[in-house]
Amino acid sequence: MSDREPSVDGDPAAGAGDGPVEAPVLELRNVSTSYGPVRVLEDVTMEVRAGEVVCLLGSNAAGKTTTLRTILGLVRPSKGEVVFSGERIDGLSTPDIVAKGITMVPENRRLFGRMSVRENLEIGAHMREDKEGIQRDVDRVLTLFPRLKERLGQKAGTLSGGEQQMLAIGRALTANPRVLLMDEPSMGLAPILVEQVFSTIKEINEQGTTIFVVEQNANMALSIADRGYVLQTGQIVLSDSAKSLLEDPRTREAYLGELA
Amino acid sequence: MPSGTLHFPTRALRVGLVGGAAALYLAITGVLERFNTREVITDLLDLGDLLILLVMLGAGYLAAGRRKGASDAGIPVLIRGLVAGAATGGVLAAFLLIAKALVDAEVNVREIFISVTPRLLNETLSLGQSTALGALLLLVAGGVLGALAASLQLLSPASRRPLLIGAAVMLFVGLLEGLFAEILDNLRLETGWLYEGEGLTITGAVIVFVVAGAMAVAWARFKGQVRKSVETLPPPQRKRMRTGALVAVILLLALLPQVVGRFNSNVLGTVGLYVLLGLGLNIVVGYAGLLDLGYVAFFAVGAYTTGVLTSPVSFLVTEEGAAAAPSGFTNFWVALPLVVIVAVVIGVLIGAPVLRLRGDYLAIVTLGFGEIIRTLVLSDWLAPFLGGAQGLLRVPAAPPTSLDLRSPERIYYLILAFVLLAAFISYRLADSRVGRAWAAMREDESVAEAMGISVIKYKLLAFAMGAAIGCLGGTFFAAKIGSIFPNSFGLLVSINVLAVIILGGMGSIPGVIVGAFVLVGVPDLLRDVLPPEYRLLVYGAILVAIMIYRPEGLIPNRRRRRELHVEEPEEEQYEPGAPAPEPVIAAGAEGAKSP
Ligand SMILES: Nc1ncnc2c1ncn2[C@@H]1O[C@H](COP(=O)(O)OP(=O)(O)OP(=O)(O)O)[C@@H](O)[C@H]1O
Ligand SMILES: [Mg+2]
Repeated sequence: MSDREPSVDGDPAAGAGDGPVEAPVLELRNVSTSYGPVRVLEDVTMEVRAGEVVCLLGSNAAGKTTTLRTILGLVRPSKGEVVFSGERIDGLSTPDIVAKGITMVPENRRLFGRMSVRENLEIGAHMREDKEGIQRDVDRVLTLFPRLKERLGQKAGTLSGGEQQMLAIGRALTANPRVLLMDEPSMGLAPILVEQVFSTIKEINEQGTTIFVVEQNANMALSIADRGYVLQTGQIVLSDSAKSLLEDPRTREAYLGELA
Repeated sequence: MPSGTLHFPTRALRVGLVGGAAALYLAITGVLERFNTREVITDLLDLGDLLILLVMLGAGYLAAGRRKGASDAGIPVLIRGLVAGAATGGVLAAFLLIAKALVDAEVNVREIFISVTPRLLNETLSLGQSTALGALLLLVAGGVLGALAASLQLLSPASRRPLLIGAAVMLFVGLLEGLFAEILDNLRLETGWLYEGEGLTITGAVIVFVVAGAMAVAWARFKGQVRKSVETLPPPQRKRMRTGALVAVILLLALLPQVVGRFNSNVLGTVGLYVLLGLGLNIVVGYAGLLDLGYVAFFAVGAYTTGVLTSPVSFLVTEEGAAAAPSGFTNFWVALPLVVIVAVVIGVLIGAPVLRLRGDYLAIVTLGFGEIIRTLVLSDWLAPFLGGAQGLLRVPAAPPTSLDLRSPERIYYLILAFVLLAAFISYRLADSRVGRAWAAMREDESVAEAMGISVIKYKLLAFAMGAAIGCLGGTFFAAKIGSIFPNSFGLLVSINVLAVIILGGMGSIPGVIVGAFVLVGVPDLLRDVLPPEYRLLVYGAILVAIMIYRPEGLIPNRRRRRELHVEEPEEEQYEPGAPAPEPVIAAGAEGAKSP
């Protein structure tokens, strides 16, 4: 893949180690986003190709969540373009963007706690009209997470933390997205659960969903990702294949808690 | 609790003293005397005495209960009740003695407490005896009643419930003499066995108590069986049964005016108006979670638009036209869809500027809108169109109910028909994609938005639907009353409607109906029991009591109940064979139901 835009900093991404690699489905081109006078994203350029798992690393307040919100149209970028399968989507409303095939697993899961597990899954499919398709995806989620199947009628707020994360992922999947955005899926989970969640993410990816995951747990995220970006105070400072990032002393220092 | 050591029942004493304060309040503010003009059971029990009695019983009951562990041994429970009841009686007795002594010393007690009449001291409180004996009787009666109520706590809930239900029904029937006597009359039945004058006969009271109690026992006994046999029915049959039950209820509602008579039909009509308003607001607040405190706006829009369109004195009718035919611009049925359209437009107009507001802010802004509408209809500026302070007069009744015969029975049917329609629409909405989107939005607006739910669209839809249903309330109000005055559209209407849906159970359709009946109908039916100045007091008491004991409302909707109580198993399972959910933790009054 040599037709990439130049990265702001760091090496141009090498082709992903493994996994099918195709044309970019999702691109951010020189995107800047501010909340009022507060500039959060500055000239961010990145891309996610069909079939990939791409992770975005960054410390607190780096602007990771803001990046996802910008993609989903929840905030408007002040500059730049967001392109989804060749079409500009910045400026579209969130429902339209979701309908095109991007959904998000929000930070902290944020389930509809008073609604049942089933209702949460149904809400995920809100933008869809095809009943059979929805049922198929609900079934797919339930095969992926058999524990949810036993708890369809249970109120989502009473699920355990791990189950809640499963449901949050399931809720985003019933929309049958082409690109799944995930905001810190490991947050607040025990290490063993983190591993489970990431192996599920990998599984979802292998079933054909492109994944863009935001993480602070760099080790975990890079272990399943094809490529990664590192965001620092709103700017992309590194972008490389996951393997190189894992070995890069700069990432190791900043995110893996090691002194260079 | 170690037996043998006798603790002083401090808590019971405290409860009793609080009861005493309440009873004393009833006595010295004149409530007791005022209510004693009404008999509940003829020659036996006046309403005022009943209140004092209830306070004593209540003190005993509360003092005896609620303390796990201590309530095992029988004697302490009774003693606690006795102490509490006696304390209540004691306060009254002490007051009697002191007041009497002051009066004897020629102190003018009534300078401050104008309601402390000689009659209160010499007859009512002293029970017709001498002061000393009266005081003693109060003390003893309190103790006995307290202990009696406490003994209820010793009974199993299964045997306690029928007693309480029997007593409650008896009171209800006694107080609603106006309604029940009328019903018996209209059914061409004897009333003499049940009522004598305004109160129940003693035999009547006993019969009602026994029948209601027996029915409660029977229900408790067969409830499980009935539910089980219904649940094991195959779905199509179950559906047919539900339809049958629904038809039966509708038939019953349709027959109601024949049975309850003209005056009570009028009350039913008013209840129906509030049900319409409640169903509309329920969509806005209950489904979409938008706290609207200016809902009266749609009531006003409905009433005024109807008035303008149908009244012969409306500005739409030219002088010549009015001279030619004394009718309005158009008739009721043509006006109706126009009213709905106007209301929807105004609903969207009010909704649009508040779309970005949440919670408290939304409430305050809508409150403002409600007041703006009221000010507008009152204003001189719009007076040429809406009549200003004079209001709009001569609004004709809806055609099948002709002008000269504004029959409450007929307007009731009209309202009933639209209530059914609105209920049906609400019901279908709740379980639809729209209903789910509203629920999601109510719970977490930003996540709902991130899931692709267009918050703006659904909020506007909620306002529009709420307006469309609520304006019908105004329309029928105009057609029912015949003249519209600005002061019918104050803040109190918004508050009343909100209270109706909160009390009934937010988001629940049967809840709205029952809520309207309890808050609007019951005070109206009690009109000859309740002096008008106590109406709001009773209204407030009903609200407070229900919010304490059933915060989820009288007939909560399924989702709402989940919010306030941990779920009840049978309603939570979607699939057979699913494992039982968490153990039920019953809270508050729910506890009494568990076997
Ligand atoms: N709605 C908002 N209004 C104003 N500032 C905001 C808003 N949302 C985020 N910010 C600011 O933008 C910056 C980036 O926030 P963002 O949520 O994107 O960080 P993050 O990388 O996701 O951090 P974390 O790892 O803690 O979730 C922070 O300084 C934050 O305070
Ligand atoms: Mg974040």
